[in-house]
Amino acid sequence: MNRALRRVSIAVLFMFVLLLANVNYLQAFEADSLASKPGNSRAFDAQYQYQRGEIETADGTVLARSKYVGGTYKYQRQYPQGAEYAPVTGYDSLYGASGIESGENSYLVGNSSKLAVRNVIDMITGKPKKGATVQLTIDSKAQTAAWNALKSSGKAGAVVALNPQTGAILAMSSYPSYDPNQLAVLSGDQLNTNDKNLLHDPSQPLLNRAISATYPPGSTFKIVTSSTLFAQGKENQNSLVSAPTSLKLPQSSVSLINNDGEVCGNLGNGKATIITAFTESCNTAFANIGMQVGSAALKSMAERYGMNATSPTLNQELSTQVAKSNFPLEPAQSFTAMSAIGQKDDTVTPLQEAMFAATIANNGTLMRPYLVQQVQAADLSDVYTASPQAQSTPVSANVAGEIKQMMLSVVSSPDGTAHQFANAIPGVQIAGKTGTAQNGINNSGLNDAVFTCFASSGNRSMAVGVIIQGGGYGAAAAAPIAVDVLKSYLENG
Amino acid sequence: MSSVATSEGAAVGGVPDAPVVMPRGRRRTEALMLVFSVGIVAFAYANVGFGLKGAPPAGMAGYMIAFTVLLVIAHLVVRWLAPWSDPLLLPLAATLNGLGIVMTYRLQEVGRDGNPGAMSVPLSTSATLIQIVYTAIGIGCFVAVLVLVREPRVLQRYTYLFGLIGLVLLALPALLPSSISEVPGTGAKIQISLGGFTVQPEEFAKLALAVAFAGYLVAKRDVLSLAGRRLVGIDLPRARDLGPVLIVWAVSLLLLVFESDIGTSAVFMGLFVCMLYIATQRTSWLLIGFALFVVGAYTASKLFSHVGERFDIWLHPFSGLNPSHNAFQLVQGLYGLGAGGILGKGLGAGQPYLTPLVQSDLVTTAFGEELGMTGLMAILLLYGLIVQRGLATSIAVKDPFSKVLVGGLSFMLALQVFVIVGGVTRLIPLTGITTPFLSQGGSSLVGSWMLIALLMRISDTARRPPPQPIQDEGMTQVVNLS
Repeated sequence: MNRALRRVSIAVLFMFVLLLANVNYLQAFEADSLASKPGNSRAFDAQYQYQRGEIETADGTVLARSKYVGGTYKYQRQYPQGAEYAPVTGYDSLYGASGIESGENSYLVGNSSKLAVRNVIDMITGKPKKGATVQLTIDSKAQTAAWNALKSSGKAGAVVALNPQTGAILAMSSYPSYDPNQLAVLSGDQLNTNDKNLLHDPSQPLLNRAISATYPPGSTFKIVTSSTLFAQGKENQNSLVSAPTSLKLPQSSVSLINNDGEVCGNLGNGKATIITAFTESCNTAFANIGMQVGSAALKSMAERYGMNATSPTLNQELSTQVAKSNFPLEPAQSFTAMSAIGQKDDTVTPLQEAMFAATIANNGTLMRPYLVQQVQAADLSDVYTASPQAQSTPVSANVAGEIKQMMLSVVSSPDGTAHQFANAIPGVQIAGKTGTAQNGINNSGLNDAVFTCFASSGNRSMAVGVIIQGGGYGAAAAAPIAVDVLKSYLENG
Repeated sequence: MSSVATSEGAAVGGVPDAPVVMPRGRRRTEALMLVFSVGIVAFAYANVGFGLKGAPPAGMAGYMIAFTVLLVIAHLVVRWLAPWSDPLLLPLAATLNGLGIVMTYRLQEVGRDGNPGAMSVPLSTSATLIQIVYTAIGIGCFVAVLVLVREPRVLQRYTYLFGLIGLVLLALPALLPSSISEVPGTGAKIQISLGGFTVQPEEFAKLALAVAFAGYLVAKRDVLSLAGRRLVGIDLPRARDLGPVLIVWAVSLLLLVFESDIGTSAVFMGLFVCMLYIATQRTSWLLIGFALFVVGAYTASKLFSHVGERFDIWLHPFSGLNPSHNAFQLVQGLYGLGAGGILGKGLGAGQPYLTPLVQSDLVTTAFGEELGMTGLMAILLLYGLIVQRGLATSIAVKDPFSKVLVGGLSFMLALQVFVIVGGVTRLIPLTGITTPFLSQGGSSLVGSWMLIALLMRISDTARRPPPQPIQDEGMTQVVNLS
């Protein structure tokens, strides 16, 4: 009988070895794959079991934090600044996330591979897990100025402000916006209701107009048209161009006129210097320049300014696709003429508007826009620090200088389209370009107001792009907002 | 039976002239290990409180004192009635029982007093107290077995009586109306529920049948060992001796069909075949038994949807609608194990309540989630040690009946752990049987304590030194018979 018993013992040993091996397999090797299986609410709830990292501005204003509430979801996300920062922070809800909350999730949760060693140490020392703090490039004063200005205009629109030297986004505001606290509720039913209300709101509060909506750039595109011409090296701001009061477009019954049919400049011979045409924003002059350089050259320059492409860094940081600003190759000369003054099929994001000005402000080099300055682990050590990168150099420093002169003239010259802002900020010279873009079928829609500008004071400089949907004149609706933002940033430097 | 050289056996069968090594009862070892197991349980209990509230749980002192007193009683009774028994069995069983109480408390607190979660079937507020009462009953029965069964061979006399008791207990739930015998929501007719008091007779039937099998097999083992025909190197038994195997097989299949209780059916069949093998040493019996069970289970899986469904859940838990419907319980258990990972969430800090009925069949996953792979492996090793002590006893004991009985009981415990833990970890299809000592509920706990009592009784016999011959009786005296 003992022989049989020994065999039974071996069988039993084998059974236990199988059990132990299987437990090892499940809990050590399969754990990750089980966590990612659909319907695994444990993995889902786990995110709410410890404190998610904070999101804050460059100057330390807290934009998102987790508060202990107890219950199944131990922490609830709070957005103290509400709607103002929603286009940046996005939301972190039970069913999904957006914006920085989504793009920087692995840091905020604390699961990033860069935090792995610290997590192991915390686990051994029994320290509760806490996500990393994400610090943005946003300047809270600029952001608030942008938000307040947009809100008081009451029209849908967006502002993006860049540090021209680094590409750091100093403000990103979109109006109307939504309060992300509404989506951070911990009741699924409440969340569904709030989400539905926001989705069906005709004012589209969830749309981040700063990067996800495109508008015709209007006359601000003349920066690109001028760049294309100057880059060819033959002409400069003082060169004369044909700037008739009315320009009949080739192979077309359409005649192009300047704003309100004005005469361009005061030479009286149907010609004007480019700086004059730029300052007064003469359409016929730039339509001619556009036809002279051709659609291919315009497109190539537009692309060097960042059009026809998305923005990889922001895509990753905000977990979205930044809308492409559009400049297609135009088959007909008449279309080329229209596209050279920012009409026809041209569309840009407010971000792109800021990138136009930023390029000129940075002597012709466009810096890649980014939003995350630094990530700090719970133990206050840095795990990520942004390093500014050049995206492209659309124009030489020389050409950039020429265009800067023209943009300064738009504000400083008595004939400039934005002359009313000449002394808006004491001691600061603003360089800008207005745009009033016709819109809708047969231009039946309200004009979109566009303004792109930059200025510097001391060691601070800022480029701002503003688009107000249906705002009317760029100088009237968009420029005051941009100036407010500049002021808030430069005066507090 | 050959003589066995184990540490205990060396003294028993030692060379007469060598100094006699007195085997020791090792009761002090047992006492020390019991202190250790009370320590582990108290630590785990406090851990639940800290995990849930950051403070020791209310009423902890009372529960721990009750638990300790029960163990002291058990220990004293062992000192009195089974002083030579294996010193590890009682502490091992006590640790598992204590952890079961701790988990019952942990699950009882779910959704109460501001704690997170909600149980699919909430435990009553007195669940922990009731579990301690069951522990008291279990230890009471443990004592009763030790008191009533002073000598294991006595049981052999009642072979057929135990067989009858076992069969009646098994058949009872199947014969009673579903309202009394069905476990709510599972379709398994395995209990008798009267006036809020529930007994699962199979937990006791197992023990009765083990005794009956041992008695029968030891009596008939010479006949059963006779070889019939030889087939591919294996001696087949004679056809006329197949009767008993077929009867047990039929009973296990009936269990399967009428009580929807595949797990128990497997455990019965395994128990019988194992005992048959130990008694006869014929591999052919193992193969026949195994083949019969596989054929039966396969046929049943084709004929009865509830059996077939188990296989589908096992093979494809994550496909189609399975994860959220049929396989929901298994899948939730697996998610729990995965969430526990290597070191676990900590007692009170996991979400075992997401797994339906986690307090009974799937309690292992709750331990796996909160104590992690490390804790679950430790628990499996506790079972492994009990089984090992049982099998060692079986090899050491001389009396064939005790040998077969304790070997069978140990194997049954191992098989039960294998079926349920293997089931919840998807090693084999999940079939609902209780996890000895850990599951919430009384019958299983009481039955498990009775099983430990039998193991200890037999190990007491095995390790007891033979009466010492009087060595020094002086000069042979001449007695004058005139």
